[in-house]
Amino acid sequence: MTWRRLVRRFAGAKSNIAWLTVLLFVVAATVLAPLLPLDHPDDGSLMDSLLGPSRRHLLGTDSVGRDLLARTVFGGRVALVAALQAIVIAALIGIPIGMVIGYIGGWVDRIVMRVVEAIVSLPFLVIVIALISVTGPGLVKSMSIVGLIYSTWLLRLARGQVLAAREELYTDASRVAGNSPRRILMRQILPNIAPPLIVQITLLFAAAIVAESTLSFLGLGVQAPTASWGSMLADAQGLARTGLWPAVPPGVAIVVTVLALNQVGDGLRDSFSRDSAGGGFLSGRRTERSSIPANTPVTSPWSSPGSSPAMVSTPGEPLLVIDGLTVRFPNGKGERHHEVVSDFSLAVQRGEIVGLVGESGSGKSITALSVLGLVPAPGQVSARSILFDGRDLVGLDYRGMRSIRGREIGVVFQEPHAHLNPAFTVGDQLCEVLRTHLSMSRRQARERAIELLHDVGITRPAERFKAYPHQFSGGMAQRVVIALAVAAEPKLLIADEPTTALDVSVQRQILDLLVELRDSRGLSILLISHDLGVIADVADQVAVMYAGQLVEQSHARSLFESPLHPYADALLKAMPRNERRTGRLPSIRGSVPAATDFPPHCRFAARCDLVAGDCTDGPVELRFVGDRTVRCLHPLAAMCRAPSDALAEAVVRGDRA
Amino acid sequence: MVKLIWLRTALVVPLLFAVATAAFFLASLSDADPARIAAGQNASPDVIQAMRVEMGLDGSTWHRYVEWLSGAVRGDLGASVYNKAPVAESIKQAMPITLSLTLGGLIVGVSLGVTAGVVSALKAGRPADRVLSTIATLGQSIPGFWLALLLTFLFALRWRWLPATGFVGPTTSITEWLRTITLPCLSIGLVSAASIARQTRSAMIGVLQQEYVRAAAAHGLSRRRVLLKHALKNAAAPVVTVLSFQVTSLLGGSIVVERLFNLRGLGAVAIDAVLRRDPDVIQGVVVCSVAAVFLVNLALDILYAWLNPRVRPA
Repeated sequence: MTWRRLVRRFAGAKSNIAWLTVLLFVVAATVLAPLLPLDHPDDGSLMDSLLGPSRRHLLGTDSVGRDLLARTVFGGRVALVAALQAIVIAALIGIPIGMVIGYIGGWVDRIVMRVVEAIVSLPFLVIVIALISVTGPGLVKSMSIVGLIYSTWLLRLARGQVLAAREELYTDASRVAGNSPRRILMRQILPNIAPPLIVQITLLFAAAIVAESTLSFLGLGVQAPTASWGSMLADAQGLARTGLWPAVPPGVAIVVTVLALNQVGDGLRDSFSRDSAGGGFLSGRRTERSSIPANTPVTSPWSSPGSSPAMVSTPGEPLLVIDGLTVRFPNGKGERHHEVVSDFSLAVQRGEIVGLVGESGSGKSITALSVLGLVPAPGQVSARSILFDGRDLVGLDYRGMRSIRGREIGVVFQEPHAHLNPAFTVGDQLCEVLRTHLSMSRRQARERAIELLHDVGITRPAERFKAYPHQFSGGMAQRVVIALAVAAEPKLLIADEPTTALDVSVQRQILDLLVELRDSRGLSILLISHDLGVIADVADQVAVMYAGQLVEQSHARSLFESPLHPYADALLKAMPRNERRTGRLPSIRGSVPAATDFPPHCRFAARCDLVAGDCTDGPVELRFVGDRTVRCLHPLAAMCRAPSDALAEAVVRGDRA
Repeated sequence: MVKLIWLRTALVVPLLFAVATAAFFLASLSDADPARIAAGQNASPDVIQAMRVEMGLDGSTWHRYVEWLSGAVRGDLGASVYNKAPVAESIKQAMPITLSLTLGGLIVGVSLGVTAGVVSALKAGRPADRVLSTIATLGQSIPGFWLALLLTFLFALRWRWLPATGFVGPTTSITEWLRTITLPCLSIGLVSAASIARQTRSAMIGVLQQEYVRAAAAHGLSRRRVLLKHALKNAAAPVVTVLSFQVTSLLGGSIVVERLFNLRGLGAVAIDAVLRRDPDVIQGVVVCSVAAVFLVNLALDILYAWLNPRVRPA
């Protein structure tokens, strides 16, 4: 990150500028104190003791008649100088030592760090007091000790940063170029690790101000009659029975200064990194009822064109019918949104495996999350209907979705370890799901959980029941995830790239397990993958997604024999198993556009080898070709190269919905 | 788990030994002569020398170190040069006060801080979060002793709800004990709560982005279970790491507020000793407070291992 960009980011937040201004005001007031029209901070007459604020004494006086405003301003001078002293000592000792031991490593590093860790683990004030007992009290001595202790903080930070920077490419390059370690540290590493050090120094400066006031309050810092915020508070404490006022100016001064320093430090930190809110899916935001009329009816290859299977309830109805699913995310600050998934429809029959395929970024996973109502805020999901086993999921809140999640629809995700809670045993997690949905007793749940572990092929299940997720290999962990997903006997399993993160040798076993579960339990499976090979092995039906849209849906065999959409064709050709046939492995040129850049016309046009003039005229609708659907004006297979009026006949228009 | 406790305890002993040694030799670096102090302002050199022999200060530093250390192991930490009071005895009287304040402050800090942090994380970016975060940032910038001053003024002097000074041991009267430590614990605990709230918020936000939390929701668990079981236990681990730092700063905080509430805790003993140049007392306070911190940290380490099974030794 360049410094200029950093400054721009920092200045971008108004609050940063405001706190910086406050800080500069404090610094200016204390630096210019002798030039300001103030009383002498240490002079006063008993005649004026404990006056309230007046024109003569803007903040009133203390018990011996000294002007509180003057004492506060001059006290600030003491505080800032003392803090600066501590920080300079801390930086001069901590940063060089930290950088050097981080760079050379080895036993020097280990010994120094052992000592530093010990010092850091001791109570700060206790060591400071112990050291002051050696030197005797006094501000300069005390703040030197504070600086010495703070140096351990900067030392640790500098060391850690250098350790990280040492592994960076620029350091390697510099080393190869024959630069001396000293030059590498000063010229290459220091500028790169400076930002976190600056943040830490800002925050330590704030801490040093509090330390100074604390020590002076205890009588270990400035000695009477010198004004310091801490000594003023010590005076005020003696007067607490008569009134609180003398404690207000120094206290407010400390809080404002420290707050400004902390805020500037935080602002600087945020300029390097930004954190975002999490857990948006817990908000229980409902899937909205889409009022947009259907351009196409639910594009189910199992229904004849024009009929609306979503509305008919027959025994042979599909298990899941997604109709007109659209997912939007707000676009930056404005009111504009971009669609990640556009008017997506799909049906899953009972006992079938439906493959949903497409490159990364095509919207497959967000589609799966939408069905479960787990799209994180600020995503907005809408659909004309999402019918599951005759029940419409649109409009259900978090509580309503609970009876679906796990109980009716199980999910398996890509990274098994990321989806198992590291803090609980797998048995605990399984029992929790079982007891939540199947109202089992503790003992029943335990027995069933062990059975489930056995069913998904885990050896010694009773023993593994007590193991934590990190004690499982990737393949075994994915089996546990599958056990969790099917624990409450759902009717549908959504498997989102279940084999992608696993070793090739394990992938096959996991796919076999899924097929076995379908056969033994009559489970329907929506199998999401970027890998057509995975889909080809197990799917009965295939839906191809591209850039948030469904582009083709067919029986698996028809798709693999004669794809209609050029994108599906390109995906097929890019399958490694076709390598031998074509001589080399072709790839699809370009990549899926970002959702913000979806074109208004055919979204694949820019990457299509067969693009024609009319492809960029306007949006392309889905249409039926036999019992298949395709979103293309010039589909591939020979059967579609029919006379144009026959083609028009096959196109389903929005007005037919 | 038992293995972990043994490992950590085994580590504490050499550390404590190192601290004791450092404390002793630091004190011997001091230019102040305890014999001169004990003998009084106008004592003749002969009297001072006699005092030195009486106090056992005439031997070599090494000899005195071995004596002090062997005494310390048996619980004898020497005596004050000032009033001859045994150090172990003054610390025994002071320790309950400081521990009451530190642990009370920790309870205030953890209960308020964790609650505020969790609420903040859930409402991240919304008004509730902004209000809580502002209070937390402000709270982090307030020195505990100033807060103590304000609280005493309002609750003890103005409204007279709670005593402004004094300490009643929990064995004497639980209610009086609670009344005497409420204000000091609040003053140091609120500052600690502010920093714990900020830590909890960022830890919780991090955990809520984790896939296993979404997976827990995908399994149909209630919102309460997802948050308070799956997310919080994971978010608690980094917060516990920060707690050990909080314990040391609470101990420091209690040293300062003791002075404000006129309590004879470790802080008062230590500060008097520094101002009077009383080496044995300082050494005793350092060793005992460090031992107390180590014990609390040991407890936190065990808690951390319970929260995060991955760090347990196999």
